[in-house]
Amino acid sequence: MSERPRHRPPPWRQLAHALLALAALLAAPARADESYGRDAVVRHLCEAKSEPMAQAIGALLTAVAAGREEAAWGARIVAALDGKRLLCAPAGPRLLRDGAVLRDPVTGREAVAPDRLPNAPFVNLRTRAWVEVATAALALFAEPGGAAASAQVAVLEKQYAIVPETALAALVERQPAPDLRDRLLLVRALQSLEAPSADARVSAIATIAGDPTARNRTLLAALAARPDYAADPAVRAALDTAMAHIDTWLRVGEVGAVLFSGLSYASILFMAALGLAVIFGLMGVINLAQGELIMIGAYATWLVQEALRALAPALLDWYLLLAVPVAFAAAAAVGMAMEATVIRHLYRRPLMTLLATWAISLFLVNLVQVLFGTQNLEFVTPAFLAGGTRVVADFMVTWNRLFAIAFAVGILALALLVLHRTPLGLFVRAVTENRDMAECVGVSTRRIDLLSFGVGSGLAGLAGLALTPIYNVNPTMGTNFIVDSFLVVVLGGVGNLAGTLIAALGIGQINIVIEPLYGAVAAKVIVLLMIILFIQFRPEGIFSVKGRR
Amino acid sequence: MNALAPTIVRRRGFAVPQGLAGPVAAVLAAAAVAVVVAGRTDAGPSVYLMNLVGQAAVYGLLAVALDLIWGYAGILSLGHGLYFAIGGYLIAMHLVTVAFHTSGTPPDFMLFMGWTELPVYYAGMDMLGYSAALILLLPALVAFLFGLVSFRSRVTGVYFAIITQALVYVAMLLFFRNDTGFGGNNGMTGFTHIAGQPLSERGTVAVLCALSLLAAAAALFGLDRLVRSRFGHMLVAVRDDEARLRFLGYDTLWIKLAVWCLSAVLAAVAGALYVPQVGIVNPRVLSPELSLEIAVWVAIGGRGTLVGAFLGAVVITTLKFLLTAWIPVLWPFVLSALVLVVVITLPNGFLDAGGALARLRRRAAGGEGRA
Repeated sequence: MSERPRHRPPPWRQLAHALLALAALLAAPARADESYGRDAVVRHLCEAKSEPMAQAIGALLTAVAAGREEAAWGARIVAALDGKRLLCAPAGPRLLRDGAVLRDPVTGREAVAPDRLPNAPFVNLRTRAWVEVATAALALFAEPGGAAASAQVAVLEKQYAIVPETALAALVERQPAPDLRDRLLLVRALQSLEAPSADARVSAIATIAGDPTARNRTLLAALAARPDYAADPAVRAALDTAMAHIDTWLRVGEVGAVLFSGLSYASILFMAALGLAVIFGLMGVINLAQGELIMIGAYATWLVQEALRALAPALLDWYLLLAVPVAFAAAAAVGMAMEATVIRHLYRRPLMTLLATWAISLFLVNLVQVLFGTQNLEFVTPAFLAGGTRVVADFMVTWNRLFAIAFAVGILALALLVLHRTPLGLFVRAVTENRDMAECVGVSTRRIDLLSFGVGSGLAGLAGLALTPIYNVNPTMGTNFIVDSFLVVVLGGVGNLAGTLIAALGIGQINIVIEPLYGAVAAKVIVLLMIILFIQFRPEGIFSVKGRR
Repeated sequence: MNALAPTIVRRRGFAVPQGLAGPVAAVLAAAAVAVVVAGRTDAGPSVYLMNLVGQAAVYGLLAVALDLIWGYAGILSLGHGLYFAIGGYLIAMHLVTVAFHTSGTPPDFMLFMGWTELPVYYAGMDMLGYSAALILLLPALVAFLFGLVSFRSRVTGVYFAIITQALVYVAMLLFFRNDTGFGGNNGMTGFTHIAGQPLSERGTVAVLCALSLLAAAAALFGLDRLVRSRFGHMLVAVRDDEARLRFLGYDTLWIKLAVWCLSAVLAAVAGALYVPQVGIVNPRVLSPELSLEIAVWVAIGGRGTLVGAFLGAVVITTLKFLLTAWIPVLWPFVLSALVLVVVITLPNGFLDAGGALARLRRRAAGGEGRA
């Protein structure tokens, strides 16, 4: 914490302090802030008009910055004003309602209620800005490293024009966190744009250009349009370079944002399509219920969250990780049940499996609707997934999307491990390549089918888990992914993880790149047409096994 | 790669009853005549009932169209709703143009978009003959282009099925847009006259119903002749062993393309008969669910039988109609159970229930194994 332990100052210092205090007392009449008094602040606040309010809050913040006033008192008064608990009679007493009792706002002592309670002043849109600034600044004075410090700084950033200069300087000095201090410095730079000297303006512009956001860009553009700025060639040149600099970084940020969101969409697609592709390669069966397995994974995650909420609230924040085995097991169990009861009988009729798995998906969707209702499920956002970090310009990396990407990478690693390092994976690859031959050398293809259907379904369940922080979770969520997953399988071909990966990346990125240009529907149309054209040249996907047909 | 081949259970002794198409077509034609007669008088079935019968006949026609390609040529389309929708939207464009020109009230979507006149591609749509020609030509053209690119690169089986489904899904997204001039989300409605006759009148409803019945009858009769012809045998050969047929020197591409386009046109005709009877068309006809349901009708009734597909469609849609009016929650469960039971125990559909029973008895008696 920023507050230092208080020890008694050495005697010579005490003397010096006493002398200084005496000097201050003597010089007092000449100093402007001597006019500061709680009474005056309350009186001005009571007028609830811009001018006196600005004066009162300016004086209050300056006094707090100089240590002549407690931040707590200021915060109490401003909060009372904001909450309509500061009662002001035009000429009579001013009161502060504190629950059931009335207090004197200046002293805090209990006051006697008059016959008629005076009205609370109305905080309008313009004066509200002052109230916001005062609240945020006082909270920062009281606790510079508090949990809400970032949000408070954000308020100052928004209302930079009316933050009193002295208060801002004091806040910068007291801010322990370097990133918040940088942001406060930026607020100061925004203020000094109005400084009379050209040098101050130029340096302020440079500081602002150091933080290339769209907001700062519009700010500088507005300045460039003003005659007093355009007149000074030095300032003008500084503005031009600053704007060019910001433009470059904004473009970099845009590209980054598109790539990032494409990557996160691609990772979702990859997770949804991976199980589909493995099962298709192995049995020639497209599982139309794959989307519903994703939905089951998401619902299993929700059940884990609710169970933790009821049984172990302390662990609630970690439900996403604790749900991993549950989501996998739930979807895998449903998948294996499907295989054992239905799909097993249809190996020689792959077209019929389409209808059978569609019937299963219809059944699952309606079952979940009956059991859980049709509304979206509500998920707690764990603390470690809330928010994100600004990488460059306006490009934010949000933790929830990053989680989905990391999760997909993890699943890819897991799938590679299983397919290439375990006996099951060996058998799966063997059956995919040549079912009859594998059977001949003693592979129990029925068992492999069952197991890999389970694993493929479990992967879909994990995809559902990774979706919960990003998408709406409801019984029909699966249908949104199923067609895109088909396209990934068609494009990627079968029996090869790399094909699925590249197809997912390609389709995800193309979708996201085209979307802002022509709209989401056009993106889907273009992607589909590209795939139809693509299969003209490689009918069996990117990495197809060579063969004659 | 063997898994990709369109394998369908080989029928031993072909237990599915043959020769039903002629009688069923005759019954439908007789019913059509009866409906027209009833429409001229006030006696007989109500307008509501005639409307329902007409819709059921249209669904039957749609199922027959799918059975032609799936049951005989082994090409499963999970996107036949696309051609149904093309027919439906074309006739809707015609009806909307007629209503606009006679009454002067612009259709809803024009008001919504703030347009004062119909888009360019509505030109000539006030002529029934031109619209009818489009209903036959446009689906054929779309089917030809899509079939050409797919069959040429030898996309078959499950691959083909999911690409058709992706296509219909994307078309649905496209038609959900409001700026396409097809009514967007709300679709097109407010039809008044067809061929000069008011759509609300009993006589018109009867004629539309009779036309639907006749179309179904003609399709059943004509296609039954077709599948018994030399061309029909080629279709079955494509289904059972396309590679062998190719090695024998036949160009299977053109066989498949021809039957694919024919099926698409039949589906479009069904759509064009459907929309005037229900009075609205919207993008929901393009939903993947409808296209899957068509395949379900065919599978339940029996593939490769034409009559089975027709009856499957009529029975299932009637069942759906009754059950959704009675206990709406139950219908999806009934449908999925029905599909699973048929798919697992009756591979050739309900028409083959006798054959399936016989096979079961034979197996129980220790005879031959799985058919």
